[in-house]
Amino acid sequence: RGLCVPAGPPSTRQLREAEEAAPVFQYAGKAAKRKDRVFVWGFSYSGALGIPSFVKPDAGWKKPRRIQPTPYRLETDEKISSAACGYGFTLLASNTRDITKVWGMGLNKDSQLGFQRSRRDQTKGYEYVLEPSPIPLPLEKPQQTRVLQVSCGRAHSLVLTDSEGVFTMGNNSYGQCGRKVVEDEIYSESHVIHQLKEFDSRVVQVVCGQDHSLFRTKKGTVYACGWGADGQTGLGHYNITSVPTKLHGDIAGVNIIQVSSYGDCCLAVSDEGDVFGWGNSEYLQLASVTETTQVNVPRHLPFKIGKVKEAACGGTGNVVLTEEGNVFVWGYGILGKGPNLIETAVPEMIPPSLFGWSDFSPDIRVAHVRCGLSQFAALTNRGELFVWGKNLRGCLGTGRMEDQYFPWRVTVPGEVVDVACGVDHMVSMVRSFT
Amino acid sequence: LNAAPGRAPRQRIRFLPTPAPGGGGALELVATSVPVLADHPLVRGPRFKKLKIGAGHRLDVKASGVFVLGIGHGNKLLTDLYNCHLTKVYTVGGLFGKATDDFSDTGNLVEKTTFDHITREKLERILAVIQGTNQKALLMYSNIDMKTQEAYELAVKGLIRPMGKSPPIITAIRCLQFALPEFQLEIHCLHETQQYLRKMVHEIGLELKSSAVCTQVRRIRDGVFTVDDALPRTQWNLQSIQEAIQNCQLRVETELEKTLA
Repeated sequence: RGLCVPAGPPSTRQLREAEEAAPVFQYAGKAAKRKDRVFVWGFSYSGALGIPSFVKPDAGWKKPRRIQPTPYRLETDEKISSAACGYGFTLLASNTRDITKVWGMGLNKDSQLGFQRSRRDQTKGYEYVLEPSPIPLPLEKPQQTRVLQVSCGRAHSLVLTDSEGVFTMGNNSYGQCGRKVVEDEIYSESHVIHQLKEFDSRVVQVVCGQDHSLFRTKKGTVYACGWGADGQTGLGHYNITSVPTKLHGDIAGVNIIQVSSYGDCCLAVSDEGDVFGWGNSEYLQLASVTETTQVNVPRHLPFKIGKVKEAACGGTGNVVLTEEGNVFVWGYGILGKGPNLIETAVPEMIPPSLFGWSDFSPDIRVAHVRCGLSQFAALTNRGELFVWGKNLRGCLGTGRMEDQYFPWRVTVPGEVVDVACGVDHMVSMVRSFT
Repeated sequence: LNAAPGRAPRQRIRFLPTPAPGGGGALELVATSVPVLADHPLVRGPRFKKLKIGAGHRLDVKASGVFVLGIGHGNKLLTDLYNCHLTKVYTVGGLFGKATDDFSDTGNLVEKTTFDHITREKLERILAVIQGTNQKALLMYSNIDMKTQEAYELAVKGLIRPMGKSPPIITAIRCLQFALPEFQLEIHCLHETQQYLRKMVHEIGLELKSSAVCTQVRRIRDGVFTVDDALPRTQWNLQSIQEAIQNCQLRVETELEKTLA
């Protein structure tokens, strides 16, 4: 009768109709925004990575993870605009108008993360902070001031706000917090957060060296305080300074647009592209101008490499970025030009082909350079992160534990916007792709 | 081939008895050059009974483009070219909005998605990341110790590449055309299969929070051979094949010397 006909293979028309009738899924709308994320990697036992389950596993099957060799996502409530890595601790800051603007994690033995009240014993504070915990700042107008930048040194930290000056906390045994040194002061579990406002104009950048602090103001002047035995305060003497004092020398009258320091050597870049340096020169960082190993007055470094845009100082090596996008390194250690180049007093260029430049993609350029204690990091304009240097406890993030003698890509699931390098860990601010 | 004039037969000097000039009866031995009978075409037979033809890198049924073949001695050159590990270039066409089970537009439909949020900028960002991770894979699979000075020098020149077996690696990728929902990419790769390229298109779709299928895979360069050297269907005759072989000979030799030296 023709009613029960077995179904044959679907004809083209049936397939086309089935396809048109299929439901359409939407995963991202037209107004989908890119999300901001934070990735951390490196040594985790100090708590500096901010993931407590690496140090104290919260499930039976989890094992403590001493080193995180590849980037790991850190979940934060707010969008982090600035991050800084110190020696075993990290500060994250957001430029929001909420009450909580700065979070800290890691070592807190010198109150470099402020006072973190312990929940077990309300009278004591935590020595190790394993999770990003809010740092209460004594602001006059907490719902209007914004935090612009944070910086961390060996045992002290600086927080820069837009209208209330600079807040300092942590170890002050050399005056690096900008207040008078108190004999036999106990820094752990201290509530002291000092506020610095007396500068000739608004402070726009704060930088911490190992035990000293540098402040750059809007007018282009540089102030310093802290330990000066290597001349890193640049004030003409080798004593400690406990009040931020203006620097003179070759930078007097020059409009400085960037300062950098991490160990005991400091570099400053002027708006005309000149580089000035002072501080420790035991590793030939300033050997192009002087034979002495300590320079206590800023000296102009006469390099013929073009107009310099950005400089970064590490423990033993320095790196600068020029306007054309070339990267120059000098100093001592693994500089990034293979295992044969260990020390040089004159800047050497790293070939751009190592950063992904080729005939196929000729518009790749390095946009920023950063320095840790013995590592270097470079960010390209496409959002790729290249690292090289000593791989101390997995801080390079390459997934391997060996040292890296030339720039190597770190695979991060996103476009890297900024990176902060520490001694044995790194933090990066990343934007997702779509 | 057999109709073409072959080699002239070999000549041999033989002392043949010929009657002496003037005055009959006596035979003299005179040296003459005569062709060797064993070389006569009727004795030898046709010169070519069969030809050894070998194929280069595989090209699947749904793909098109340059396909390298070797004849006779060319087979040995083919193995040498394979050991050179040169890159191949493909143009891959894709379509956003659909996902199928075999990643091409003729497969069974799995899912349909929206794609109006995709822009050329987002696509190029994803392509830059793919290129970056594959660059890293290139360095890792080349089995060179990264701590040596020569590894640094090769990396600067961009000459590090895997000289042995490795998973598929993309050395360069860029977007040629972008007109929603279609797009076209140019991919330079090593050790790949066409299905891997289709899977790559599918993954690009996933990464952009949509889905994509591959509509066209066309190989435009295989080592030293480009589309300009390739013979289309109308030119599959002896004359063009011989000309093509002669044109490419020099290039193949220089490439082999450069890489295998």
